[in-house]
Amino acid sequence: MRDAAVFRQVLLAQWRWARLALVVLAVVGFAIPLASVFYGADLAGAGRSRVGDWLVAADRVASVLPYFALLTGVLVGVMAWTPDIAGRHVYALTLPVSRAYFVTLRFVAGALLTLVPAGAFAVGAVIASVSVSLPPGVHAHPADVAARFWLATLTVYAIIFAISSASRRGQIAIISIIGGAVLVDLLLLTLSADFSITAEAFALLTNWPGPLAILTGRWALFDV
Amino acid sequence: MTTHAIETRDLCYRPGPGFEIRDLSIKVRQGAIYGFLGPNGAGKTTTIQLLLGLRRARSGSISILGLDAPRELPRILGSTGYVPERPHLYPYLSVAEAIRYHGAFYPGFDWSYAEQLRKAFDLREGAKLSRVSKGEMGKLMILLVLAQRPDLLVLDEPTDGLDPVVRRDVLSALLDFCSQGAATVFISSHLVHELERICDWVGVLDRGRLAAELPMNAFKNGIKRIRLGRAPSLVGDTPFVVISQERSALEQVWVVRGWQPTMVQWFDGVGAEVKEIVDLDLEDGFVELLRGARAPQEG
Repeated sequence: MRDAAVFRQVLLAQWRWARLALVVLAVVGFAIPLASVFYGADLAGAGRSRVGDWLVAADRVASVLPYFALLTGVLVGVMAWTPDIAGRHVYALTLPVSRAYFVTLRFVAGALLTLVPAGAFAVGAVIASVSVSLPPGVHAHPADVAARFWLATLTVYAIIFAISSASRRGQIAIISIIGGAVLVDLLLLTLSADFSITAEAFALLTNWPGPLAILTGRWALFDV
Repeated sequence: MTTHAIETRDLCYRPGPGFEIRDLSIKVRQGAIYGFLGPNGAGKTTTIQLLLGLRRARSGSISILGLDAPRELPRILGSTGYVPERPHLYPYLSVAEAIRYHGAFYPGFDWSYAEQLRKAFDLREGAKLSRVSKGEMGKLMILLVLAQRPDLLVLDEPTDGLDPVVRRDVLSALLDFCSQGAATVFISSHLVHELERICDWVGVLDRGRLAAELPMNAFKNGIKRIRLGRAPSLVGDTPFVVISQERSALEQVWVVRGWQPTMVQWFDGVGAEVKEIVDLDLEDGFVELLRGARAPQEG
């Protein structure tokens, strides 16, 4: 009972802090799928070539989705901790709960808040899907794309949350590793070496089973 | 049943070169209102942060309300109200939201008392914390910790920078709360006269070391400046504590603590002539204590 009351207050406080950003993200998330059908809503009797053009245009719009999921995850992850960072964590650390418990509360609250833009995106995707008359063989995938968007947002959120909640020493270590990798890459570049640490690391992260693989590939709301 | 709400033993902490807390042993008995005095930079806030687990001591032990810190920190913090030196509440919350947020973490939070204090302090429910005055923020922080109904209150310069009216409101609320139960109060300040009104025990910290720990009565009445003629050249066992000695050709001036009128006989016994005994006010006593504590180090 007390846990529920505490969580409700943490969620409300986090919402209070992040609500402006969340509303803007929700509006954009709602609008993106609708922009997919901007190029025409009645394709039932359209010819092959027009349907092809339409799918290419819809795909182009959908290509912004991974970036939008990245932006949403980063923003919600950073905003989960900024009030505590500003207060040097004094309030959080003097509340009568263990650190692990408080971190869990913050994480779950932030994860739930990602549902705001993800939910708006899902609603927009459903409206976009039902508002267009598709020719035979072309299908809308609003639930799949919405679920993928939410999972991608959650993945990015979890990574950023983990970095934000790390100790200062941990954060310095992460920044040092990235900075060190960039420096080594510059050195390799001057030696004309055919190898890049950052490119390898990026490939490792974005190729399955890397955590950011979910951001890559096609994000088609409409497909054959 | 422990008799001390706070007990530290040989606490050592060194945040960096130039300052350290060394061998700090404090005893705050339960139910006391303990004033933690010291000049700016003496280490008062650092000590409080060590007590509450915000910093980790290099060595030594801390017991709060009979519990070992920092091992049992969540339990300790559940019974402790803390007002830090700088406001720590989330500025984007309103007064009512801040009360609801804070109260949710404390099962014994007294909601009706919080509402009573909010009205007494004239705090608007909807006022954003980012827009309230320093005085209102100070009152809100006191409200939150008092409504916790804690066994221990740790207040770090709670009235620093507040105007006299707000300061009086805050201290009155604190005294009201103390009169209702047996809470222990540990209050740090560099404002000697403020603590005089409310404290029954005083610890004086200087440069990370405890210069003195004594009952407020002994601090108020027991610190004297004594002008002596024919003073003894060597000080052996004295029934009082000699804080400092100044010698001139004709006389000596001693500052002592733990003084009682009957102790004048000790001077007769060692052949000294007491010319004058001057009562020091609290501030002078504080300054003399600091001077006495620093003398051997600077010696």
